Amino acid sequence: MAIATLDSVLAGLAQDRATGSLRIGRAGTIFLTRGRVSYAECTGTPGVEELLTASGRISAGAVRKARQAAVARTEPPSGGDTLVGDGVLTRGELEFCVLGATLDASFFLLEPALAPAPGAAVPRSRFRDGERHWLGTHWFFDVPGLFQECRRRKARLDRAWPSSELDTQPVIPVRRIPGRHVVLTALQWEVLLGADTTATPAELARRLGRPAYSTLLAVRELGAAGLLATRADSAGQPRPALPKRAERSGPRAELRPGAGRDAAQPHLPQVSADPTDVNLLIRLRDALEALQ
Amino acid sequence: MIGIEDCLSEAMTIPGALDAILVDHTSGMAVAAEGVPYPEGSAAGLSEAFRATLDGLALSTPDGTIRIEDVIVTTDRAYHLIKPMETMFDGPLLICLRLDPDRANLALALRRLQAISHRLIAS
Repeated sequence: MAIATLDSVLAGLAQDRATGSLRIGRAGTIFLTRGRVSYAECTGTPGVEELLTASGRISAGAVRKARQAAVARTEPPSGGDTLVGDGVLTRGELEFCVLGATLDASFFLLEPALAPAPGAAVPRSRFRDGERHWLGTHWFFDVPGLFQECRRRKARLDRAWPSSELDTQPVIPVRRIPGRHVVLTALQWEVLLGADTTATPAELARRLGRPAYSTLLAVRELGAAGLLATRADSAGQPRPALPKRAERSGPRAELRPGAGRDAAQPHLPQVSADPTDVNLLIRLRDALEALQ
Repeated sequence: MIGIEDCLSEAMTIPGALDAILVDHTSGMAVAAEGVPYPEGSAAGLSEAFRATLDGLALSTPDGTIRIEDVIVTTDRAYHLIKPMETMFDGPLLICLRLDPDRANLALALRRLQAISHRLIAS
């Protein structure tokens, strides 16, 4: 018997106009209110609590207190309304916070279901009828719309940089940029500043208090701009037209991932032996002589 | 203090408003829209237009850093206003308004949009 896939489970719950929480393996939980998704949380993405505390608007202790107060009530919890009432954030900010956290979590929860790898295990899901999130209900997504948005986000990632290679690797900025001028977005700046050559995009997102998807997108954009070390630098990928000078400038070579692991494979040309370098020097000399 | 839906309905009461859409700039997603026939396409286009403006102006500004308050584009058929609102968690939320040039007052529309954005997001 085939195990029900995540999309069919969600479609069924939507049809039944169910209210409750759907636990997806250990990855996270999707909350539904009358058949529509009202919140989602994922272990890999920052939730509303983390986004709020990272913004400096409210302390972690105050969030915990608001949560406990909301859960302690018997009627449907509405911790979000309490936060708005206390002036921690506006109604619009709460809605945008819930919407952002839900989309971020959904992307990582649902993306494996969009294009399941053959033979991949379908995560076990369990529905708890009537369970609600402590924030209450502040924004809705219908189930097909949510899948559609996840597909759109996936396509957007692939448009930025069509390889998932950087997604799970530590983010390692190159020591020198491949040009003289670079324009960065605010989040790209934060990613570069936060990159300590060990943190992966997901870890950076958590540290920065930024959505994991936005961070991933920033990382892929930085990769596409040639600002991050990639494995292509050490593997036998097509090289840029001009050969890179390598061993002479130690720090740069060390930064490339795989330089340690694949030390047996010389991945960059030796400067002295590279005919292109010699040719370039000869052309330079000729040009200088012609100037005189 | 208002929510996302109210913010759009208020924007639509600005004299000359033809349509309004709220766009998440980072992902290019249409958060909510009023009177927009194809919100998805509009959201993608408007967030690209905003990105291009940011990049272009950053390159042409002496110190290289800019903070856009409003983007105003006048075409033969409409005024387009894009106002970024900084949020505390993610890149800006864009409120985009298309106005009928025969009925709209650009200065008034900008002031109203500013007021709406302050009531939606307190920053």
